[in-house]
Amino acid sequence: MDSSKKDIFTILVGGSAGNGVKKIGAVLSSFFSNMGRYAFEMEDYQSLIKGGHNFCVVSTSTEPIFSHYEKKDVIVALDERSYNKHKDEANKNGVVVYNSDLVKEAEQNHIGIPLTTFGRKYPNPELRLGISALSVLFGVLGLSKDELANLIKENFRDVENNISFANEVYDYFVSHFKGERIQLDKGNKRMPVVSGNEAIPLGAYAGGLDMFFAYPMTPASTILHFLAAHTRDFEIGVMHPENEIAVINMAIGAASVGLKTMVASSGGGFALMEEALSLAGMTETPILAVLSSRPGPSTGVPTYTEQGDLYFALNQGHGEFPKIVASPGTHEEAFYLASELLSLAWEFQTVSILLTEKHLSESRKTFEIDLDKASFADYFKHTDGEYLRYKLTDSGVSPLLFPPSQSVIKFSSYEHDEYGLSTEDPEMITKMHDKRFRKYNSIIEKFKNLKTVNIYNSHLGDNAPIIYTYGSTTMSVLEALKFGKIEARVVQPIYLEPFPSWEFKQFSGVKSCVIEQSVMGSFEKLLKEKTGIEVNSHIRKYDGRPFEVESLAKAIKEALS
Amino acid sequence: MSVRDELTTYEENTWCPGCGNFGIFTAFKGAIKELENRGVKKSHVLITAGIGCHGKIFDYLNLSGFYSLHGRAVATAQGMKLGNPDLYVVAFVGDGDAMGEGLEHVLFAAKRNADITIIMHNNGVYGLTTGQFTPVSPKGFKGPSTPFGSVEEPLNPIKLVLDAGATFVARGYSAKIKELTNIFVEAILHKGFSFVDVLQPCVSFNDTYELYNKNTFFVDKIATTKEEAIEISNVQDKIPLGIFYKEDKPVHHELLLEGKNLFKESLTKEKRLQKIREFLNI
Repeated sequence: MDSSKKDIFTILVGGSAGNGVKKIGAVLSSFFSNMGRYAFEMEDYQSLIKGGHNFCVVSTSTEPIFSHYEKKDVIVALDERSYNKHKDEANKNGVVVYNSDLVKEAEQNHIGIPLTTFGRKYPNPELRLGISALSVLFGVLGLSKDELANLIKENFRDVENNISFANEVYDYFVSHFKGERIQLDKGNKRMPVVSGNEAIPLGAYAGGLDMFFAYPMTPASTILHFLAAHTRDFEIGVMHPENEIAVINMAIGAASVGLKTMVASSGGGFALMEEALSLAGMTETPILAVLSSRPGPSTGVPTYTEQGDLYFALNQGHGEFPKIVASPGTHEEAFYLASELLSLAWEFQTVSILLTEKHLSESRKTFEIDLDKASFADYFKHTDGEYLRYKLTDSGVSPLLFPPSQSVIKFSSYEHDEYGLSTEDPEMITKMHDKRFRKYNSIIEKFKNLKTVNIYNSHLGDNAPIIYTYGSTTMSVLEALKFGKIEARVVQPIYLEPFPSWEFKQFSGVKSCVIEQSVMGSFEKLLKEKTGIEVNSHIRKYDGRPFEVESLAKAIKEALS
Repeated sequence: MSVRDELTTYEENTWCPGCGNFGIFTAFKGAIKELENRGVKKSHVLITAGIGCHGKIFDYLNLSGFYSLHGRAVATAQGMKLGNPDLYVVAFVGDGDAMGEGLEHVLFAAKRNADITIIMHNNGVYGLTTGQFTPVSPKGFKGPSTPFGSVEEPLNPIKLVLDAGATFVARGYSAKIKELTNIFVEAILHKGFSFVDVLQPCVSFNDTYELYNKNTFFVDKIATTKEEAIEISNVQDKIPLGIFYKEDKPVHHELLLEGKNLFKESLTKEKRLQKIREFLNI
């Protein structure tokens, strides 16, 4: 049998909710990672439980990979809608398989398999359909039924029926498949595959997280599910209270007696928490808040992605107080950053916001991680003498002490004196404002010794064009440059507040472009406001879907030409 | 006026002369002393408060804690209790604060039997914002936001919290200091969600001294069922005072945290990384 070698390989599986598409995506990415390859898995699903249209795309390579691809080598459509929507996304030699029980009209070179008929021989046929994608993949890759059975054993219940179903699909596919087998090389190391919403809580946990509070809101909910499932083995606390207002006030209350706490939500829930984020600023209570964006405004599009919350994150909380906002570019960075943000919250006793998007939260990627690089939260401890909760210091940071103690420890929402009692005295109001403002300057000093900006492709030299981007869009940009063989540097601020303007002085006089998922260009506006940089062009996408590698590469070539 | 003692801070007291808050303040300090006699150290009593005239008690009491937002003290209190279950947590709340802005937290704290004590300064009016009607003000109440009289029926806080799952419910009166002190002691010692509705005249906007002095009485027993508690607490010709209900039930933090004290038992970085390695299988 003929076969051809491929490095970047992409498979799409589409169906309706309840076909197990998401599960198949996870099985596919872990299958590739077990081959020692890199993988990136994107889930596209709707805000519903049954029906509708769900699909997953998994791309794999022996090199690091940061995005799913637009053009697929294998497409498995479990229903008609999936077929019609995706049939044209195949590569030149791509294999398109559809459920011939449900698809009325199909192209001749596409392979129809009566999946529903095969499935009906077993209980819960709908749930089983997704497994057919594994049969097709194994057929395309020239792998045996024994290997297929092993994969099913490792990943599914009802093993016997599933293997029997998978074998029937496999045999049918192999007997109808006339194309070339594809050979995928094995890679060098086996890596775990994690989603952003696993990387973030894992990072926070590494950094010292004791208790997590959250109310469900997509696309942040899976952080809650992940930590709740690990309450016992991680020896932490997890609570799902009555609403986001309770979430944040409980987290602050617990932090005030010494627990390292975190909260997470999407835009709407975060808006409800805003008053208390200002409370954390005033009371100088450390708190880590995760904001995972969906397309807004309002309820918006719950299960899709956008970067429309940048200024919302930057401007959190009424009144003026120092806060830290940062956004990770990759899953690995999400891990390190969550631990670092928890540490910074505790070092400076204020709010840290980890801003991310559905695209990072819910996509899954092989995870190349050095756990020892995680930060661990510590704080300025009171040692002896009279305790003053809001002691005026040069850094603006006052020592912490937790009850029970012989000293009185008073946190206050009102403007207060050093002891923590309410004040309306003009001199004390000024002193306390100045104290908190000194923390802002202390944070900037700290930032100067931290990696606040990523610069990719700096080897191209100072004359190479620059793409400015941030958050999960960074991954799309990196993959597009690789795919398009485009020579451009990528500048991605990790920290957005305080903005590391000092890092941007080196970038001037070259062609530049901003790429972001925002209709009004909030990142472009921020860049100009903070650095004076006016870019030559921008690429914006705001249809709820992440960038596709191939079309983004084309757009970048045009923008930089 | 209050006398300076070790439980009183240097903050200037700005409650109106004759304010019912003074009675609550005195009774609470008395309760702290009595609790110390019973082995509860004041260093282990943590306070929180909402925003309103009631909240000023946070500044006057020389005890550790967290001055919270309007309506949110009950959420703050639950966070503190989860943060360190060794502590006794008391939330001072107002009737507008806890029955209006933050009612959900009160009901849910009762529902989950959070082991905290809520002391509701119930003066039937928003004092600090100059006299608007609250969720417990009677129909027809005239204030700056209802100049022609409130058109809404009032809530019944005792019935609400009992229905929601409160395991200790009492009503006190700020001028009956000895009895109020005792109610506070019992409420704080009760393991579970304690709710004390304290009738408190507002001399500036809702002076109820005469009414309460004439028309209150103490019930002579604690009810054995919630239905009976609602019945004996019901205001008819006179207003019943005292402890209406008390029940032993598992408390929220022990169930949720399975007996752990996360503050004392927080894992080291090494242990955490080890657990992550196991999870990631690396």
